[in-house]
Amino acid sequence: MSEFGALDQDLQQMFGDVFGDWREARGPAALEIELDRALWATLVDLGISRLTAVDGSGATWIEAAGLLRAAARTAAAVPVAENDVLSGWLREQAAIADDDLIHSACILDPSGSARAVPWASQVDNLTVLWPVGDGWKLADVPVSQFHVTPGRDLAGQPRDAVSIDLATLDGADVPSDVVREYRLRGALARSVQMAGALERIVELSVEHATSRVQFGRPIGKFQAVQNLIADAAGELVIANASTDAAVLALAAGEVGLDGLELRVAIARSVTGHAAAVIVRNVHQVHGAIGTTFEHQLHEFTKPVLAWRSEFGSLREWDTRLTELMVASELDLWAFGVPTDGR
Amino acid sequence: MEIHLAPPIVQEGQQLTELRQKVREFIRAGIADATLVPTINSWLGGWNEEFSRSLAAEGWLGMTIPVEFGGRGSTFLQRFVVTQELLAAGAPVSAHWVADRQIGPSLLKFGTDYQKQKLLPGIANGDIFFGIGMSEPDAGSDLASVRTKGVQVEGGWKISGSKVWTSGAHASNYFFALARTAPVDTDHRHAGLSQFIIDLHSPGVDVRPIVSLNGHHHFNEVFLDDVFVPDDMVLGTIGEGWNQVTSELAYERSGPERFLSTLPMLNELLLATRRGDLAPDPELGRYFARIMGLHQVSVSIADSLSRGEEVGTSASIVKVLGTTTEGDIAEFATTVPGAAEGDASLDTLRALGDEALLERAGFTLRGGTNEVLRGVIARGLGLR
Ligand SMILES: Cc1cc2nc3c(=O)[nH]c(=O)nc-3n(C[C@H](O)[C@H](O)[C@H](O)COP(=O)(O)OP(=O)(O)OC[C@H]3O[C@@H](n4cnc5c(N)ncnc54)[C@H](O)[C@@H]3O)c2cc1C
Repeated sequence: MSEFGALDQDLQQMFGDVFGDWREARGPAALEIELDRALWATLVDLGISRLTAVDGSGATWIEAAGLLRAAARTAAAVPVAENDVLSGWLREQAAIADDDLIHSACILDPSGSARAVPWASQVDNLTVLWPVGDGWKLADVPVSQFHVTPGRDLAGQPRDAVSIDLATLDGADVPSDVVREYRLRGALARSVQMAGALERIVELSVEHATSRVQFGRPIGKFQAVQNLIADAAGELVIANASTDAAVLALAAGEVGLDGLELRVAIARSVTGHAAAVIVRNVHQVHGAIGTTFEHQLHEFTKPVLAWRSEFGSLREWDTRLTELMVASELDLWAFGVPTDGR
Repeated sequence: MEIHLAPPIVQEGQQLTELRQKVREFIRAGIADATLVPTINSWLGGWNEEFSRSLAAEGWLGMTIPVEFGGRGSTFLQRFVVTQELLAAGAPVSAHWVADRQIGPSLLKFGTDYQKQKLLPGIANGDIFFGIGMSEPDAGSDLASVRTKGVQVEGGWKISGSKVWTSGAHASNYFFALARTAPVDTDHRHAGLSQFIIDLHSPGVDVRPIVSLNGHHHFNEVFLDDVFVPDDMVLGTIGEGWNQVTSELAYERSGPERFLSTLPMLNELLLATRRGDLAPDPELGRYFARIMGLHQVSVSIADSLSRGEEVGTSASIVKVLGTTTEGDIAEFATTVPGAAEGDASLDTLRALGDEALLERAGFTLRGGTNEVLRGVIARGLGLR
């Protein structure tokens, strides 16, 4: 078998250092998260703000996932997913030249509106898809041309409503598969981000359980507390594995969109359900301090809970996966463990 | 701190995929001619020596045993793929299960040439079946407290004591018995234990059935009354029993049997939904996804083990999550609309579901309870 996740050690170290240094130097946490342009400039300098550009470093989703994880592990306030694997990839589909602006992306409805667009109010450009007749158009448009109504998700991340007069837009035609893959990429990016933050959350629970003393010993010595953490760790392991499997499928590029959708649906289902157990158990381990704004735990748990509902909610993914299974003609095991490279 | 709980995931190579395909064809043919009737829990309940021999004929028994000892000299991963496929299909593999999964590897690791010559060829062709004699009335989770005693005599050992929950002992040829051969040293409780290969038909061995709550008979009490074991049937080193027993645990805990026991039932849920006998339920996708996640972890552990690497706490994680999930699937299957009172189109599901619901209590106990395993995971995380 060949090993996956063979993310280059040096690269992984570099990702960890960049965000680790940023986190050490940054000010106090904020209820409302603002895009950190200084951190962004560092990413641009290092050439990792647009990691998977085709004419760039040759990085694949494996490296991109490493970056997303590292950012999520430190609650870094930058739209790394949106700029690279979403907008960047979309712009490539329409042969739009790369630039050093900060981008996000969204799908507009036929009236030219979209809700809860990640980072829209704080980036430079939005790469938009919109339906025209039976087809789709794509354009990269300065945010200044949109009417923007700022909003926030439960984690305080910018999720803004945007609208524009579609008649003023000139777009390139793209096939509907681009729209489908965009949605799957977004869903997978959120799975990777969740996995990264969940890992940090489990680490925090171990740290807390070994340092907090009650009844004369670290609370981690109590079997009941050990059980909470052991179960959280277990959920983390399967969340990581199913997310990595989907990343691998996309990086290898061999499975086609149906195969990719299956892997992404599995990843989102497993990771979404894992998030429920991990967040619940880890808060329980932390006691009252974990419920405060002062403690860092919420900086990781809140985004996880927000991401879980983006690019499809947990129930939508469970439902979609069920549909895919029922629509197939294969037995359940053969569907999940194909022998034809699907 | 950073935690590393499981090895990185791996992608299956071409050869293994081809093997998988071959096993699937074999299974399809078996189902077509009814030599293979899918059941749940088929690695404990499905005793079928003829089926075991049909696997031997394909070269799928004793796969990792070297050719010189009658085996196939295949890799651990090849065996892993074959067992995955058989378990997923609910094939009756329990007759050879223990011998194939752990006795063979233990003999290869600790056995003498004589023992290998004597036992391995029979294991590989489906003529010799084995049980495991570890648990005792007063030694369950606390295995080191076994009281079965081995006393050295001329030319061997006399073993006395009683074993319990010994799966398949009534139909097996031998079992590995864990016995105390030196008095308990309270500072080193794990010292002074030894393993013996006991012929279950020797004088002094008395196997008595224990009937399970569903009326089935798969495990037993085994009474040992001064059973003579010649020196050449001592496994490994006297006094090293604990290390020998625990060295194979990662294989046992992370294997596909820890999450596939009820897969035929989940498949039947899918088929019933496809037929329109059940409304599509998102829980179906949810459990399928979970099984696939466990599959990924299990494969990556197998891959690591095959390279002799440490797999840390991940093997225990697979067992805790996997056995819980296979039980939850039983719960799901038996609570769908029409579970008990619906029409005949749900009969297959009902039969599998009822069976699973009554077997599930054992899932999270056998091979080390989930509570004990959570302790193992906690230790791996540095909590104890
Ligand atoms: C279907 C089946 C087949 C089996 N086949 C075999 C076989 O072939 N050979 C064999 O040797 N054995 C076999 N066993 C026995 C199995 O290994 C034991 O059941 C198991 O080790 C638990 O021991 P026990 O049943 O005595 O439970 P106990 O150890 O008495 O445990 C009872 C409860 O207490 C909990 N508990 C115990 N200690 C702790 C602790 N330190 N911390 C937290 N909780 C604890 C347990 O988790 C459990 O919930 C089989 C069991 C089953 C159910």
